[in-house]
Amino acid sequence: MKKEPGMAYNMKTLNKVFAVLSILFLISTIWIVLDDYIRPWKAVQIKGLEVKEKVLLEQIKEAEESTDGDKVRSLNAKIMAAKKDIDSKDQEVSKVKEKLAEVQKKIYIQNMKNGEDGSRASEYQFKYEHAFSHNHPKQAAKYKIKMDYYRVRFNEGRDQLKVFQQEEKKINNEMKTYTDKKTSLEKELEKLTGTKDLLLTSMKSSQKGLVWLIRNMPFIDYLDPTIKIHQWEVKNVTEDRYFQQVPRVDRCKTCHLFIDTPGFEAQEQPYKTHSKLTELAVGANSAHPAKLFGCSSCHQGESHKVFDFRSPEHTPSSKEQMVEWEKKYDWHYPHKKPQPMFPLIYTEASCVKCHQGVEYLPMANKLNEGKKLINTYGCYGCHKIEGYQDKVKPGPALKKIAAKVTKEFITKWVWNPRSFNEHAKMPSFFMQAHNSKEEFANKNKTEVAAMAEFLISKSEEYKPFMKYKAGDADKGKELIQTVGCIGCHQVEGLDEPWNAVKSRKGTYLTGTGSKVDPDWLVSWLKKPSHYQEDTIMPSFRLTDSEVSNIATYLLSLKNEKFAEIESFEIDKKLRDGLLTEYLAQFEPIAMAEAKLAKMTDHQRNMELGKRSVGKYGCYSCHNIDGFSPDRAPIGPELNGFGSKPLTQLGYGQQHDTVGHSRHEWLFAHLKQPSLWDKGVPKSFKDLNKMPNFYLKDDEIHSISTVILGLVRDYVPLAGQKVLNAEEKLMAEGKKVASKYNCYGCHKIDGFGGDILAAYDDYNMGPPFLMKQGHRVNSDWFYKFLKNVHPIRSYVQARMPSFNFSNDEINKLITYFNATHKDAKTFHEKPSFLDNRGMVKWNPGERDAAKQMWEELACTSCHTGGFNSEEAQAPNLHFAKKRLRVSWLRDVWLKDPTKVMDYSIMPNFWENGTISAVEGVLDDDPKKQINAMIKYLWEFGYDKSPEPFKK
Amino acid sequence: MKNIIDMIMAPEYSFTAVVVLFILMIKYVDKIATKKFGYSLLLGMTVFIGWLFTDNVFRLNFFATNDNVPIIFLVFLVVWSCWFSLYKGIQNDNRIAAGGVPLEAEPENREKVWSWPNLVYTELFAIIACTIFLIVWAIVFKSPLEEPANPTWAPNPAKAPWYFLGLQEMLVYFDPWLAGVLLPGLIIVGLVAIPYMDVNPKGNGYYTFRERKFAITTFLFGWLVLWVFLIIIGTFLRGPNWVYYGPFEVWDAHKVLAANNVNISEYFWIKLLNQGLPKNILVREIAGIIMTVGYFVVGIPLFNKFFGNKYLKRMGMIRYYLMVMLIFMTLTLPIKMYLRWSINLKYIIFMPEFEFNI
Repeated sequence: MKKEPGMAYNMKTLNKVFAVLSILFLISTIWIVLDDYIRPWKAVQIKGLEVKEKVLLEQIKEAEESTDGDKVRSLNAKIMAAKKDIDSKDQEVSKVKEKLAEVQKKIYIQNMKNGEDGSRASEYQFKYEHAFSHNHPKQAAKYKIKMDYYRVRFNEGRDQLKVFQQEEKKINNEMKTYTDKKTSLEKELEKLTGTKDLLLTSMKSSQKGLVWLIRNMPFIDYLDPTIKIHQWEVKNVTEDRYFQQVPRVDRCKTCHLFIDTPGFEAQEQPYKTHSKLTELAVGANSAHPAKLFGCSSCHQGESHKVFDFRSPEHTPSSKEQMVEWEKKYDWHYPHKKPQPMFPLIYTEASCVKCHQGVEYLPMANKLNEGKKLINTYGCYGCHKIEGYQDKVKPGPALKKIAAKVTKEFITKWVWNPRSFNEHAKMPSFFMQAHNSKEEFANKNKTEVAAMAEFLISKSEEYKPFMKYKAGDADKGKELIQTVGCIGCHQVEGLDEPWNAVKSRKGTYLTGTGSKVDPDWLVSWLKKPSHYQEDTIMPSFRLTDSEVSNIATYLLSLKNEKFAEIESFEIDKKLRDGLLTEYLAQFEPIAMAEAKLAKMTDHQRNMELGKRSVGKYGCYSCHNIDGFSPDRAPIGPELNGFGSKPLTQLGYGQQHDTVGHSRHEWLFAHLKQPSLWDKGVPKSFKDLNKMPNFYLKDDEIHSISTVILGLVRDYVPLAGQKVLNAEEKLMAEGKKVASKYNCYGCHKIDGFGGDILAAYDDYNMGPPFLMKQGHRVNSDWFYKFLKNVHPIRSYVQARMPSFNFSNDEINKLITYFNATHKDAKTFHEKPSFLDNRGMVKWNPGERDAAKQMWEELACTSCHTGGFNSEEAQAPNLHFAKKRLRVSWLRDVWLKDPTKVMDYSIMPNFWENGTISAVEGVLDDDPKKQINAMIKYLWEFGYDKSPEPFKK
Repeated sequence: MKNIIDMIMAPEYSFTAVVVLFILMIKYVDKIATKKFGYSLLLGMTVFIGWLFTDNVFRLNFFATNDNVPIIFLVFLVVWSCWFSLYKGIQNDNRIAAGGVPLEAEPENREKVWSWPNLVYTELFAIIACTIFLIVWAIVFKSPLEEPANPTWAPNPAKAPWYFLGLQEMLVYFDPWLAGVLLPGLIIVGLVAIPYMDVNPKGNGYYTFRERKFAITTFLFGWLVLWVFLIIIGTFLRGPNWVYYGPFEVWDAHKVLAANNVNISEYFWIKLLNQGLPKNILVREIAGIIMTVGYFVVGIPLFNKFFGNKYLKRMGMIRYYLMVMLIFMTLTLPIKMYLRWSINLKYIIFMPEFEFNI
């Protein structure tokens, strides 16, 4: 085609190109608008509307079913009749209406007039006052006339208004006579159908329609959309954003639409109501309302991201779920996200960062279980863990070990604790997957034998103060069951129901016969602190014959299989090789060998023993001579584990077998610590030293919950649970209670009481300590814990004499006292009470008390000091010294079932609502209770029973 | 096959290969500047890159960050524009050699047209087309936005934007002062200075190669070999810890390479003379200092011998020596790279006392 002059292109072609480009441009613009508009979470919300409708329909149906249809119909009929009635009196009604309109018009006009007069009056008053005070008497007089004129008019008008209003009232009343019946009927109907009507309104508001469509259209949807991002801004718990703490923005509700709405419990995720809505989280009245704590404070994750399922970093709870998500959502491990969501089983880990300095947390069962297990297995011995710094070493002291067990026992035990006792809490270091090679095993055996040698040689002299005499094993077994040993220890082969108790505080006693020295055992049973001063094992004040019975029983528990295992000795060649390696760490081999040559055989054994104790960190759990208590524990600190980047966790060669998340790593680690050495060419001295505890899966989950919670997150003060002075004391007391395992026998405010599993009738077991701080006097409590004396003579289990320090007793008492600050009934201060001089009788009161005492037959159970029958309740003579008046008055006598629902104490006054004995003291429960207390106080002793001999 | 590619793509081999290819390109420019070669090059590249994408590992690494996508555009565009300019240049060179004028100087190509619509309208097309392209690109490849920066969670590898990856690659071989400040500064200064140093009037308004052979070769060496290729290395061949990974190699952050780098001073005093390092800094670094000074003192006269006669007169003293300095500085990069690869050289002069390390 020929080009025009001055033109390089043909104009028509150019226009065509322009047209094509314009169309493409339009298409790409529409595309990008749609791409921006269509977001996965919107689909979730639209589906949510259907779910809501479904649930509302169900609720409406339910509301319909629960209303009485016949009644509604009859009410409707009545309303219709009433309406007809009004219609039939049409003329009269319309006349009244006219009258009403007339008078209302008058009122309106009068109101206007009054308003004008009133304001004029005020105006002239101001003018008058102004003129008067500025010395213009003439003007003032003029204004005064006007002011008075308007005031009179205003007052007249107001009176007139009152007349009209009266009239209006009258007409209204007249009107009511016609409509009253209908109105009241309608109100009644509304009561019946109100719920349903509300539900219907709610349904209407969420239905899709034209308005809904317009509100959610692209470009218009910035105004007032119904499909929108819902978010909570959480100021209390912040996120670290590069040197700045910013509030968390939780947009989870965008998809979890009904997380805070009850009624959706049965729906599938994400439409489910929060499972602990009312008590724990999200709900407005729960402990952690969503407005203050949001979601990610506990669940973690990239909570501000809502684009699609993957963006907030959901974490699957199980392998099956992971596979499902991979298919459904293309889920994969988030490698770049510091803190993805916790799998559901670990959510309680988040409690730790805000609730610090407390032993156990209400409602956090998994976490509490984990904390308990950390105590049981003594993880804190080797690893520094926040909150466990001040605990006693988890293992027994080995400073006098030679008196207790033989060298052969130590060798075999350390080599494989489980060969002696499959429930051993002592973990297994040897013959694991990574060190069972013959070369390694032989070196290990030499190390173990050297350690045994070291421990025995270093052991202090200890002479048992009692000699073992054979007793009655059956009686011994009976004693172990009844006095309370099993509150801490377990033994195989106990009788029903005692074998139901599963406490793990103390040693598993099966096999004791193959373990300890008989003389040591009797001395230990008689007085544990004689062998180890700081032991937590208490004295049960056993008599000599009891001691020999128990010892006979325990010594009869032999482990034949273990006895058959051969012990082994130090291999001198291997020993010297290992020692040379140690000595050559900082010196040349020749010098190391020269040093070794100078050492005697015994010195060499001791040196290797000591080095091995240091190598395996035995000193972290046991007190061992030659190792200072200040020596750093062997394991790495666990604080901050929950924030550790994955790249800092050693996967060895297990990248393909162990999942890429902190919790999966931790699980694999606790399940089999030697796993990381698999396939890694390590030399003997570099082998992984974390021993195997043979933990069960659910134990690992619980322990992991605690460890994953040890994060480095900064939590603002407002978000932390700050303990006040009292709560701090309480937390300290709880630590003492768990150190000495009070929880093994007593159920303290609903927690603990392992031994109670063996009791059908709790009255015969260790008492529940409910509201104990309110119940007993602090000074009595102090003396009791120092020197135990009898209270419930009918209970066979003994309250042992613990080796408490003064400080520990005080902490315990403060703990119990502080626990009951929240009990509304506790009016008195928890102080040391003087109980003397309480009794001042009112006229006739004493006789009434005596009458009640007889009629209520108190002495049939509280026999102590009254008759010789067997007691079923504490001796009341000692109540005065022990119990608080306010507790007896406001709690115990008022309603014993509220404190101990198992108690045989009758509920005489039924929460202070009825009279226990009719015709006494005006049948006033309060007066009756007061009189009873006075009576108790009158005959009560000013002392406690003689304490047991220690 | 893939293993062999993983091996030969290591910088020391692939860089050498690229240098060789570059020399071949200049030498056989006549063969290259043909349509036949152009089409086969396009075909070859498309097939090769397409083949790369059939590999799972390569695809995974490639799409891990969407800003790798422009590198593919870059490769095609650079190759095309390079080939196109050579093609046009050689065409004109042949015409001139045959006694004609460049194509652009033909009368029909000198005819003037209206700026509307010929220029303005087509510019509008370009604007719209670019916008469409950018929109579609933005939709199809979402921007690789990550979490807000967190100093305790640095990504590994921490890569600069793709256009700076050549600079980042230089950091492997040079002290940050040189690779991060001096050399980039010289690049900018050098680019700014080119118009003032280039006094060759030929080639104005038309494509040519032979009339500006020195200028084009020097520039293309810097651009293709020392810049574009280093970007490709930085993008595709560097993984966690900035270690070399073949295109088909999985990025395992734990990959270990033995890299014990040694200074010239250590080579000289310890390995050669078998004695300790002298206390005096200057004495200690004497070998490196002599080498560096020698590089310029011996190198420049040598350079003059080859190119001096022709260019010194034409450009004048100042322009000429400025150019020589720039070229010598540029050449330090490949020299240092080869020294690193061949003898594990760390620094030629190592004076941490003055933060002066070359």
